[in-house]
Amino acid sequence: MRSVAEGLRLLGAVVLGAVTALLGLVLLPPALPLARRPAVREAARRLAVLEARRLRLDPAALGLGAARPDGQELRYLAARLPLGVLGGLTAALLGCGLAVAGTLVWHWGRGLPVDGMLPTAPLLAYAALGGTVLLFLDLSGLVGVHALERRLALRMLAPDPTEALRRRITELAESRAGVLAAVDAERRRIERDLHDGLQQRLVALSMLAGRARRGRPELLAQVHEQAQQALAELREVAWRAYPSALDALGLADALAGMAERAGIPVKVVCELSARPPAAVETVSYFVASEAVTNAAKHSGATAVTVEVREHGTMIAVNVHDDGMGGADPAGGGLSGLARRVAALDGGFTVTSPPGGPTVIRAELPCG
Amino acid sequence: MRVILAEDSTLLREGLVRLLEEEGHEVLAAVGDGEALVGAVEAEEPDVVVVDVRMPPTHTDEGLRAALEIRRRRPHVKVLVLSQYVEKKYATELMSGNVDGVGYLLKDRVAQVSDFLDALERVGAGGAAFDPEVVRQLLARTSHADPLARLTGREREVLELMAQGLTNASIAQSLHVSQSAVEKHVNALFDKLSLSHTAGYSRRVLAVLRYLGS
Repeated sequence: MRSVAEGLRLLGAVVLGAVTALLGLVLLPPALPLARRPAVREAARRLAVLEARRLRLDPAALGLGAARPDGQELRYLAARLPLGVLGGLTAALLGCGLAVAGTLVWHWGRGLPVDGMLPTAPLLAYAALGGTVLLFLDLSGLVGVHALERRLALRMLAPDPTEALRRRITELAESRAGVLAAVDAERRRIERDLHDGLQQRLVALSMLAGRARRGRPELLAQVHEQAQQALAELREVAWRAYPSALDALGLADALAGMAERAGIPVKVVCELSARPPAAVETVSYFVASEAVTNAAKHSGATAVTVEVREHGTMIAVNVHDDGMGGADPAGGGLSGLARRVAALDGGFTVTSPPGGPTVIRAELPCG
Repeated sequence: MRVILAEDSTLLREGLVRLLEEEGHEVLAAVGDGEALVGAVEAEEPDVVVVDVRMPPTHTDEGLRAALEIRRRRPHVKVLVLSQYVEKKYATELMSGNVDGVGYLLKDRVAQVSDFLDALERVGAGGAAFDPEVVRQLLARTSHADPLARLTGREREVLELMAQGLTNASIAQSLHVSQSAVEKHVNALFDKLSLSHTAGYSRRVLAVLRYLGS
């Protein structure tokens, strides 16, 4: 069943290719003299993207994300015209064969002659054998045309290995700089946590102790209470810097701990069959925790859901809240997360239309 | 003294208000940012302002900006600045312009209640109060290393205490020597640093600090 569907899809792709080739025969000659115009280039790019989709190739991997300065798309569209026509002819032959076979079955089934011939045993054997061979040849032709089209597209559009490597190096350099920036931002936040929170508390505490010593012994109870609060704050700061539960107990427990501290109701769903690599766990945790912190602080959300699931070799972290949206992906916290995720070659998206809801999603490859 | 406080941590602000009131000072206003401070000073005419360097909205140096603004608009208002770190730049900015009644303390010093209150008194009386840490770092980082190297150990100690704003009498007390001995050291070190002899104590302090900070 599946191979039949696949075969029909391939036939469809080849027929479609023939149609676009015929259109191309009409449109390309008048477009060629204007090949340098941006509008023409953009149109060529879009057509090439359609061709790539028809051939089940990734347009982005073929460098079709934006109009290419070398104008290669137009050249490709011209080069594939003969193949498209060939595909059309092959498909037409299949149509003719099926029509002949249909006619034979229709007439002979009713005992009527075709071209004055009635179905005798040798004639039936001849027709069945010949028909099968022709059908096989034509189907092979269709597969061949499709394969040729794919090869042509890859050959003409796919970046050469050096270019691909160069692009990868740029990507790596960017993500490395991003990680450094994210680390610095993190340190700045910890410094602020220490100075604006804990230090103030300790100074206030010492001052209180000083007042107690200067003749107000009744303040000692307050001294004790503030010392407890300072310790609690220290625990919070340490947890925000790095939750030690992550190493010891794993992502699910660390997320549960984060949910308890969040200050708004957080539902955690963590469905993993095995522990992902430590780096993936850490990034997953910080994506969830930063998203929850943002939701609690800025969105006015009353409930947040954190979902961590496996998709093949990927781990997907999904955080959505029922707040009023408008989160800025370029803001400090979220851009830091994007950099962390990029460093692991993951994907990171923030959807936060005004009025909400906000959905933050990270996909991280594992191994 | 009539005091205005600017400190963004509520806990610390409340503690400071209580402390100052218990010590018999009048707290005219306690605010949480630089802009509110400048406004309160215009409205209330305090004797002294105690201001935290790092306050909203940017949490960098708005307290210092506000302090400098107050010094410019109301030169007779004394200013005691509290800072998380020793910042040579902040110290030198405070020392430029009119220099009587200026103090620069590390925030932790507030915890040593009596030191903090002494510093506040000194600033309120038109003197100077510089954190020992500030002085030590300025001495360590000074670009005039050679003349300092000519000072004896005792003269160096005297210089540090003098730079914190202490009078000769207080220096004598904390070093357990006679006041005349201190005066002798002071004259000797002024000669070695080629500083002119000036009468006012804070001017003396600032002469030293400026020399070190330049």
